[in-house]
Amino acid sequence: MSRLENRGPNSVTDEPLISVEDVKVHFEKERSLFEMFSEPDVVKAVDGVSVDIGENDVLALVGESGCGKTTLGKTIIGLQKPSAGTISYRGRDIWETKAGNTDLSFADIRSSLQIIHQDPGSSLNPNRRIVETLSEPIRLTHPAITAGERRARIHSLLERVGMTPARDFASRYPHQLSGGEKQRVALARALLMNPDVILADEAISALDVSLRVEMMDLMLDLQEEFNTSFVFISHDLSNARYFAEHGDGRVGVMYLGNLVEVGPPEQLITDPQHPYTEVLRWATPNLALDATNASEPPMRKIDIPDPVNPPSGCRFHTRCPKAREACTQLQPELREVSDSHQVACFRSDPDHEYWESSELED
Amino acid sequence: MTTTSDQLHRPRDGVSDPILEVKNAKVTYDGGETYVLDNVTFSIERNEILGVVGESGSGKSMLASALLDAIPAPGHLSGEVLYHPDQNTTVDVLEFTDSELMEYRWAEVSMVFQGAMSSFNPTMKVGAHFKDTLKAHNRVVPEGLDFARELLSDLYLDPERVLDSYPHELSGGMQQRALIALSLLLEPEVLVMDEPTAALDLLMQRSILLLLEEIKEKYDVTMVFITHDLPLVASLADRMAVMYAFELVEAGPRDQIIGDSGHPYTRALLNSTPNIDAPLEDMQPIPGKSPAPVNVPAGCSYADRCPLATDTCRQDDPVFEDIGDGHIVACHHWQQATEEIELTFNQDEGGESVEGELR
Repeated sequence: MSRLENRGPNSVTDEPLISVEDVKVHFEKERSLFEMFSEPDVVKAVDGVSVDIGENDVLALVGESGCGKTTLGKTIIGLQKPSAGTISYRGRDIWETKAGNTDLSFADIRSSLQIIHQDPGSSLNPNRRIVETLSEPIRLTHPAITAGERRARIHSLLERVGMTPARDFASRYPHQLSGGEKQRVALARALLMNPDVILADEAISALDVSLRVEMMDLMLDLQEEFNTSFVFISHDLSNARYFAEHGDGRVGVMYLGNLVEVGPPEQLITDPQHPYTEVLRWATPNLALDATNASEPPMRKIDIPDPVNPPSGCRFHTRCPKAREACTQLQPELREVSDSHQVACFRSDPDHEYWESSELED
Repeated sequence: MTTTSDQLHRPRDGVSDPILEVKNAKVTYDGGETYVLDNVTFSIERNEILGVVGESGSGKSMLASALLDAIPAPGHLSGEVLYHPDQNTTVDVLEFTDSELMEYRWAEVSMVFQGAMSSFNPTMKVGAHFKDTLKAHNRVVPEGLDFARELLSDLYLDPERVLDSYPHELSGGMQQRALIALSLLLEPEVLVMDEPTAALDLLMQRSILLLLEEIKEKYDVTMVFITHDLPLVASLADRMAVMYAFELVEAGPRDQIIGDSGHPYTRALLNSTPNIDAPLEDMQPIPGKSPAPVNVPAGCSYADRCPLATDTCRQDDPVFEDIGDGHIVACHHWQQATEEIELTFNQDEGGESVEGELR
């Protein structure tokens, strides 16, 4: 699998912040006593992904439920140990660091890589006031800081995420906040650690449509101010486009554990190279009147195949309207089609045997 | 909104053959102190798909429950809900006896609730839900199950596999489709869906919408689709209604609501939506928040957030005005709104590029 280029004028050094190399995350299904000696069912949530994230970068991952985007996201910030492959933070392998084999402390890496969860309601402790929730990380990492300083830091950060008056909000419990406000608290909590990367896992999906742009704008403001990179996970291509375009980043499309297309948002949306990207494009609601009428989906089957037995060859061939015999045999690798735009589809290669093979019949 | 006689009401919103009419519906809690549905009047045309749009807490789920007289206690529903099984018959849903109400729900008007995962009993197979429903409504089980199989295959599910599975063995999208099949089991005239596709990914949402359109054609059901996701329902609905702060603020044919909306709130909602073809810099959030049910302001409830608000808006609650082709708006300044609040998505260019890319 070819390596992804680090893009954008914002990458200050040649060394990427996070480097993911040929990472695989496989989960084994539990076996009952009778099945002890049989082969376990393996779900290949992430199956061979390589990607780099630079300083002040944005990578927006899109795909269906179950495509492995959350697992990849968690692997990128070191919450999920890969079954194979490596993840490096500033050149040091994260899991080697955890084992104590590098010159960096794991605590530093841990606080540099933060997460905002999908459901703001369940990611905040309902029994704690906001100020208590936000004090904890500072207390743990900076035991010398006094309560007064801690409070000042929390208040200024709450104001920064738009929760004014901060004093009033800080003393509230989570149930006294709206969904959007809870998500702002989660963002403030992640920012407390001055992180290098924040994983925003469907961080805006639970919010009302009208609040999503506001939340994304806030995260983008903070990206510049705090020099933070974002891995932004969404199933909505239009949100991913908005976030990645404004953050000067890339959109990565995932399908059943593989990255199938990566590129600059405008290019990927106006000129999708992978048939699956076209499917996502079709699924994204459009307000333009002549496009609102539902058209036939550009795919052959509605349901995603069972990840325990993924299709052979290109994993999308069972649903792809353009699949041919060749697609059932070999898995296409990511290849460059234009500057920093990569796609894993035989159709991107005009000389591939795909063009000679026969079309698939259902 | 005080005059609601049929002559005044009917032609105004362009509905000629209503299957359901809601008149002055109010839902109150705390002995009438708190409104969660405030004087809503609207009707649903036979065989149409009506999309009802509103933010969280705008009262849209209450509206859905009101159609089935199923407001959770201690809420109190007043007003009228009229059901017309055919053009010449009118029954008042709020006057039903318990047994009439039981037959009305599901067999005449059925409902799909938010979150399929919590609608099924996790300890029962999906098939058992179908059998129970048939028995509870005194239907012949084998015939009913045959119909269930047909419904399931219409929804691109494998009937035998689904009926013999426990809910957790199905994916979210499959559960949601099985739930839609279950709600159609007794061949209802009207299907009310409250956020039926929330919690699913976009691809499954769009696929379900396509299937709903096919179902509607095949079984002649009238559909009410309630959601916060305006662009989603815009691809399906014939007519749309917009709710804000427990009131209806605008209703009309889909194309008018999207392309020529008269209420400043609808226009702000359209502009705040991330849209795949709109220029990125033009998307704007709506400033301010919607009012809480306890202190809905006098006058227009949107006045505090509205860029066009004047003293009139803060004093007088606007009444619905007909602005043509069954398009009604409750705003004092709808003309000004259409002129001054520009819709940011570019319709001509946007549409063409989609078609071009997908070919």
